[in-house]
Amino acid sequence: MSSDADLKNARMVYYESDMAELETVLKRLLDLSRAKRALLIDIEGHMVATCGDGGDQTDLENISALVAGTFAATKETAKLLGEEEFSVLFHQGETDSIQLTLVDDRLLLGIIFDDATTIGMVRLYASETAKKVMDVLGREHSGSETSTMLDDDFGESVETELDNFFGE
Amino acid sequence: MQINFGSRSVSCKIVYYGPGLSGKTTNIQKIHEQMPSPRKGELTSIKTEGDRTLFFDFMSLDLGKIGGMETRFQIYTVPGQVYYNATRKLVLQGADGIVFVADSGPECMAANVESWRNLKDNLAERGLEITDLPVVIQWNKRDLAGAISTDEMNATINDIDAPTFEAVATEGPGVLETLKSVCGIVCRQLNERQAKMASASKASPPAPVAPAATPASAETMRFVSRRRSTTQTTQKKKGTSTVGPTHAQAPVPPKTHPRTPVRPVHATRKRSRSWWSKMFVALGIIAAVLGIAAALYGIGLW
Repeated sequence: MSSDADLKNARMVYYESDMAELETVLKRLLDLSRAKRALLIDIEGHMVATCGDGGDQTDLENISALVAGTFAATKETAKLLGEEEFSVLFHQGETDSIQLTLVDDRLLLGIIFDDATTIGMVRLYASETAKKVMDVLGREHSGSETSTMLDDDFGESVETELDNFFGE
Repeated sequence: MQINFGSRSVSCKIVYYGPGLSGKTTNIQKIHEQMPSPRKGELTSIKTEGDRTLFFDFMSLDLGKIGGMETRFQIYTVPGQVYYNATRKLVLQGADGIVFVADSGPECMAANVESWRNLKDNLAERGLEITDLPVVIQWNKRDLAGAISTDEMNATINDIDAPTFEAVATEGPGVLETLKSVCGIVCRQLNERQAKMASASKASPPAPVAPAATPASAETMRFVSRRRSTTQTTQKKKGTSTVGPTHAQAPVPPKTHPRTPVRPVHATRKRSRSWWSKMFVALGIIAAVLGIAAALYGIGLW
């Protein structure tokens, strides 16, 4: 198996073609479910893809980190209860709510919605969307991307930028 | 770590580890204070009423575009109290770099040693050695009277020859230097990892594309059966095993991920024709009983 496929399977790297498809899948989810925003979140807390209204980049990153932490905690709770995991979490607020669905071992689908839709609609389309996401990410990497490597001097560039950043 | 060629971004996770009250949260607060506004996210802290970290502190550090990629570091701290080991393990998951914050206080050597051992144990549970990750050590609270000498701390704790920095996190010295060091090592290793994988892939020609180990329908079935458990369902029934298929179907060979262990999955149960016929018979009987009851009611006998 090629190294690109290894990186894709390990969910360390997301390729442009896959990302475009994932964004299309999320957009369709929002259109059908009438939810406000959809997020694909890595279980380590990185936001993979997002679509919809509301929340700036910083808020969404914070939400991703918190959601991943919450899911990790409930997974351990599930094990103590004799379950393999809890694959769905739902937090209900006064105006906005969030539904979290486990897509596979490494991804979560978060859907933020208000009273424009119902939890049933969201769950229905969440499960379909999760399958589509798995299809996209489960496909063999085509290797047709124009750029799948970081620059050779990326590490050095980061160190230089860190020096500038911290005012040295 | 995540390299996203769609959004052209690189995101790395740095975890601050160490014994309770060693200064992990103070470090992240100081970093947050000193960062220019457009580049830093909010500092999120999940803590107790006594200001002790309960779950984690988190902030995002955006370095902007480097090599065409938006480069971000997600900085976490773990709760240091011994009681919260389970939580530390969760936060440690996926760490790309670790800063070990040691307390230079005169009575704190034992706590530092215990926390260092705990870090190694928690990494080992994930199949990692401490030398598998970039680790930087910070000797914090150097301003304390009677602070343990750095030579002694280095000799007792730093058995991996990690880079070390002296710091007084409450005032600021050493905080940014520590962060710079770990971020730099993480990114240099990124390049090395890529180069290694690229040369490995060139050395052996790619294997012919084999059919997927699990056909799509089986993947879907496995996904559906696993999703039987939600926050609203109850515990498993007594006597049922969660290991292996529960129905006489050929077990589906699982797809392996490099990081995640293979887990047994439930097979879905197909309803047989005899089950359906029994259901129809049962429904028929119920309908008949209801009909009789209605009739009896109608003629006044009930």
